[in-house]
Amino acid sequence: MSDAAAIRLAADVGGTFTDVAAFDEATGELRLGKTLTTPSRLVTGIEQGVIRAGASFDAAPLFLHGTTVAINTILERSGARCALLTTQGFRDIYEIGRVNRPESYNLFFKRHAPLIERDLRFDISERIDAQGAVLIKLDETQVRSAVSAAVAQGVTAVAILFLHSYRNPAHEQRAKQIIEQAFPQLFVTASHELSQEYREFERTSTAAANAYIGPRVRRYLAEMETHLDAAGFAGNFLIVQSNGGLFDVADAQRSCIRMLESGPAAGVIGAKVLCDSIGMRNAIAFDMGGTTAKAGVIHDGEVLMTGNALIGGYATGLPIQMPMIDIQEVGTGGGSIARVAPGDALRVGPQSAGAQPGPVCYSQGGSEPTITDANLVLGRLGAERFLGGEMPLDIEAARRVLNDKIAESLGMNLVEAAEGILRIATTQMANVVRWVTTERGLDAADFALVAYGGAGPLHAAMVARELQIATVVIPRAPGHFSAYGMLLADLRRDFVTTWFTPLAEASFADMEALFAGMEARGRDTVTRGQDKLTGISVRRAADMRYVGQEHAVTVDLPLELFQARNRDGIKQRFDAVHQTRYGFSVATEKAEIVSLRSATVGEMRKPAFEPIARGGLQPRAEAFSGRRPVYFAGAGFVDTPTYQRSVLQAGNTFSGPALVEEHASTTVVLPGDTLEVDAFGDLIVGINRS
Amino acid sequence: MDSVTDKPVNTAPRTNPVVTEIVRNGLVAVTEEMKINLMRTAYNMIIYEALDFTVGIFDAQGNTVSIGLGLPMFIRGMSDTVKAKLAHFGAENLAPGDILLTNDAYITGSHLNHMTFTVPIFHEEELAGFSCCMAHWPDVGGTLMEGTTDIFSEGLQMPIVKIHRRGEPNEELIAIIKNNVRLPERAMGDFRAQIAAVKTGERRFLDLIRKHGRDEVLGGIAAIMDQSEALARARVRDMPDGVYEAESFMDDDGVNVGQQVPIKVRVTVAGDRMTVDLSDVSKQVQGFYNSGITAGRSCCQVAFKCLTSALELPINDGAFRALDIVLPPGRVVSAEKPAAMRMWMCYPMTIVDTIFKALAPALPEQVIAGHHADLVVGRINGRRPKDNSFYIYLGGLIGGGWGAKYDSDGQNATIAMNDGDTHNGPSEQVEAKYPLLVERYCLRADSGGAGRFRGGLGTEQVVQARHPIRFSSQMDRVKCKPWGLDGGMSGFGNGVALQRFGKTEEVNFQNGKALNQVLQTGDAYILRSGGGGGYGSPLERDLDALARDVRCGYVTRDSAEVNYGAVYLAGTLQIDVDATQRQRAQMREQGLPVDQPVAQSLVPQAPAQPHEHNDAFDRLTEEERVAFAMQCRCCS
Repeated sequence: MSDAAAIRLAADVGGTFTDVAAFDEATGELRLGKTLTTPSRLVTGIEQGVIRAGASFDAAPLFLHGTTVAINTILERSGARCALLTTQGFRDIYEIGRVNRPESYNLFFKRHAPLIERDLRFDISERIDAQGAVLIKLDETQVRSAVSAAVAQGVTAVAILFLHSYRNPAHEQRAKQIIEQAFPQLFVTASHELSQEYREFERTSTAAANAYIGPRVRRYLAEMETHLDAAGFAGNFLIVQSNGGLFDVADAQRSCIRMLESGPAAGVIGAKVLCDSIGMRNAIAFDMGGTTAKAGVIHDGEVLMTGNALIGGYATGLPIQMPMIDIQEVGTGGGSIARVAPGDALRVGPQSAGAQPGPVCYSQGGSEPTITDANLVLGRLGAERFLGGEMPLDIEAARRVLNDKIAESLGMNLVEAAEGILRIATTQMANVVRWVTTERGLDAADFALVAYGGAGPLHAAMVARELQIATVVIPRAPGHFSAYGMLLADLRRDFVTTWFTPLAEASFADMEALFAGMEARGRDTVTRGQDKLTGISVRRAADMRYVGQEHAVTVDLPLELFQARNRDGIKQRFDAVHQTRYGFSVATEKAEIVSLRSATVGEMRKPAFEPIARGGLQPRAEAFSGRRPVYFAGAGFVDTPTYQRSVLQAGNTFSGPALVEEHASTTVVLPGDTLEVDAFGDLIVGINRS
Repeated sequence: MDSVTDKPVNTAPRTNPVVTEIVRNGLVAVTEEMKINLMRTAYNMIIYEALDFTVGIFDAQGNTVSIGLGLPMFIRGMSDTVKAKLAHFGAENLAPGDILLTNDAYITGSHLNHMTFTVPIFHEEELAGFSCCMAHWPDVGGTLMEGTTDIFSEGLQMPIVKIHRRGEPNEELIAIIKNNVRLPERAMGDFRAQIAAVKTGERRFLDLIRKHGRDEVLGGIAAIMDQSEALARARVRDMPDGVYEAESFMDDDGVNVGQQVPIKVRVTVAGDRMTVDLSDVSKQVQGFYNSGITAGRSCCQVAFKCLTSALELPINDGAFRALDIVLPPGRVVSAEKPAAMRMWMCYPMTIVDTIFKALAPALPEQVIAGHHADLVVGRINGRRPKDNSFYIYLGGLIGGGWGAKYDSDGQNATIAMNDGDTHNGPSEQVEAKYPLLVERYCLRADSGGAGRFRGGLGTEQVVQARHPIRFSSQMDRVKCKPWGLDGGMSGFGNGVALQRFGKTEEVNFQNGKALNQVLQTGDAYILRSGGGGGYGSPLERDLDALARDVRCGYVTRDSAEVNYGAVYLAGTLQIDVDATQRQRAQMREQGLPVDQPVAQSLVPQAPAQPHEHNDAFDRLTEEERVAFAMQCRCCS
């Protein structure tokens, strides 16, 4: 069956929901399925989602998968019993960390808690220096005896961190080889396999986290493969990484940590591809759910990346050092709780009622007023329309709690209180969006806002106004957007090599050799077992700084600069990036290279989405689903039309105030703004910036 | 009594709670952005990694509106500096585009390294506030020999000046700075970074005013300060009224080695006000451990903030209206010219801990036992062998033990109270940048004071010189160990030592003052940070927790027996529960274990001379020599 063979499947397993997107390449049709995640056996939820999307595995040539199994294993501390081997004298580096105390006045502060206890961290006699020279040879006997002792204590995974392995990995490689020969059943990770950057604590933490989650992720992937085999799946099974690219299962079973943030990353990739298709170069991917709002940046057509992240928050998080999409988040979501603090201060979040007990209006036991309750009281959510009417909301309860807990204590009326909560939430979210742009010297006002997640379309216009953003885009399937984004991802492999060298002394031959090495490995990785690539592209960048500076910036370097051996060109690119980011640059000051970065992308054929039916300026009568009073600042309650998104046609255009409703989301169009449906069914909202 | 944070007389019109909250979020974002901008553009590791800086926004009178950390112990320093600058010029003589600079140690309360830049923020020709940034420059001239006894030997003193006048840099003043520092290019890098930071603060604060209106923002600020005040007063009201006192001491002033410096505090809680009286803290000292009155006030405010609103943002002066401070001039934390100030940051940390000690009987569930209270740094300078370039490296910042609380153990290996989000430098980076080799960086077993809850562990760092260096370290709290509370025992004190190439014994320094030491190739310096004090009697420590401590090596078997009364099943590391209970009962009767709060110095003053030359070592390759030196020390 040629048409059936062209179904591309994607499944995003989140904490609460499992989303499935099925794209039929023959018809261009996109089908979606949402089911509750089944924590005890995650494949069950996926299977149900596939059924709900009206698809099946036996017909699919491609299955793309994002999962929270890796990150949850860390956050829930449910990983393997691990051992850590480190350079003699550095047994405690994982525990000492960077000694910082972010909560500076909190006497009850707690530091990060290592995933490996001290009695399973072993000093090994060996030493390599910063130039890569071996000072003390690896004590192989000690490696064997330490691992034997660890195995006797029930260890199933081992991480290895030797100093300067980014420069010379020989000792890590040899130690790993010894362990694998002696204990083939163990999951073994050496730090240089995951990160070739300096910073021993961050590399230790990365390797330890990979070992910690390795056995469980491996089990999960094996279970998934067994299930796929049984379901008759004969296609290609790929996993989404935190860098937004795909990798194969064999790779995923070794470098489990690369899939840590697969869901959020896929959302940003979806936003990027959407931008490509509609010709936008600069956009902010804005994802607002029940507990958080997240923002990623697409600048000049490229997704902005970061070299490290803290898993579990800044104060106590564990660092992971590898290239990933730079996604910042703030604890503001639909379930965020509003409260009155001493001195009549009104605070919103970060405490959240989450999905359970949820907002008061869900009638599931929630007792604290939330952002969702405020939206309901202001008419932005329809009590009878939530989740397509499957879940009626209790507006009276929402009014009561907002009145009793907020409005009365602050001497405001109910509507002022509800509107105030939304305004505060808006500025909090705007601040995180501003953060991801100003951190790089960019101005949010120059970007479009692509909003998704269950609550994104509800708040996007207010956030955009706060930031002077001109255009909001609500993509199709905003409530399933991560699964949708997976359909659009490419294979990708990133490498970073620390190489401290003054630019003036950097040999092009040496750089070329280092890049060529990374690119060859990247090419091997993305082509392995893939016969359907439409192309391979490589990107080069360098982390650079002025001599004497500590912090480096990443500078994208076109291949031509290397072909032309254009040293001045590299310096000028660096000066320009520094100027953008920090507001100054010094042409006469010398620069140095800290690390070289390489990305190899194996391009996959993208789904060709069919345009939706074209209609007139005026939406058809069926699209109009009623009117209700909705509160807007400055206008009061306005009788506002509601539209059903599924019935809108390309070219339909109308002005706010208006609401566009779909199964898992509502788009608010503010008075003065204008909405247009584009050829593919995306909602393009022009924001009145006056 | 000082009224450093009195309510301004002219409060702007009040605004509603929603706008106030929006302004609050906005202010926190402004100072965060200033901070990020500075960190990312700074040239020196002390700013970027150690976060030895503070940025903030201040109202038109110089009161703190929002501080982005930073140095906690600089909580007062910028506001007082902004006020001094305002008083110096007068508001009428400030203009848009002015940038005010000083590093006057008696104004900032700290050392000359703290260059402090301030921009007056004008909105429609009217002064609306200030943006300010202090950051630590690695060198401001002065002697490289340690042991100063007056401010003149500590470097360039820049009085309050306009380094920019209406947007025009004063090149003559800049030339004076460049001429007086050892690394002028680096200094100018930090100079630019600080100016970028204060300009960012100015721009973002004006954005806030443009967006929400001047009256709304200023009214919001007044409301935020009132909220902070209300919260603090509510917390103080919950504290039992009374007068609480405590004493401690500093080991010495760095010049008169071995001569203790007494610390005494008195805290009065009455209704919703707290008064901290530092009148009985030692008079200013001859050595370089003095700090200005601002630092003394910071001691009181840091302790007060910890006890009343630790996590509330922004940090602002409203939070301190319920706090009165008594501090006459001429004390070691209110020193007057020409007192030497180079190690200003050291004593105040102990004063903060002493305030907690005083309040322990009244607030047993809010205070913390003593911590190592020193940054534990070493100052290194030398020349790189490959190009003979001169370098200065601030080593250490190794973190140490923090005190236990009524419900939990102290934290291990964490930076001392003076600093907040300060990071140590990765050893891999240190070795790549300097001809040094970090041989060991680990926790010190048994360094945390024994207790029902144990003090956190200190750390030890051993660093080998691969080429000759000069090394200095002056630490305190070597003798006065971090104290326990409620029957908890004291932790280990801090320490510094050298180990010469090929030798197994260490050269120790009485009271942690190792001044102007020359290290030859293969020699190592050793920094050791103290542990935190314990809380409650160690005889009440949970046996599972004790078993884990011993299994993981946080506590040695010996210490478990001597201090915690552990009895092991024969030939195992398993605790015999019944025997342990009996042993503990017996120890209680005998008044054991006995705490020794003051470390005894067993070692005489070390000779300052390097080791004798040995020709045999010259025949080794560099790698062999490094490895040989390490192996002499590796058996810890």
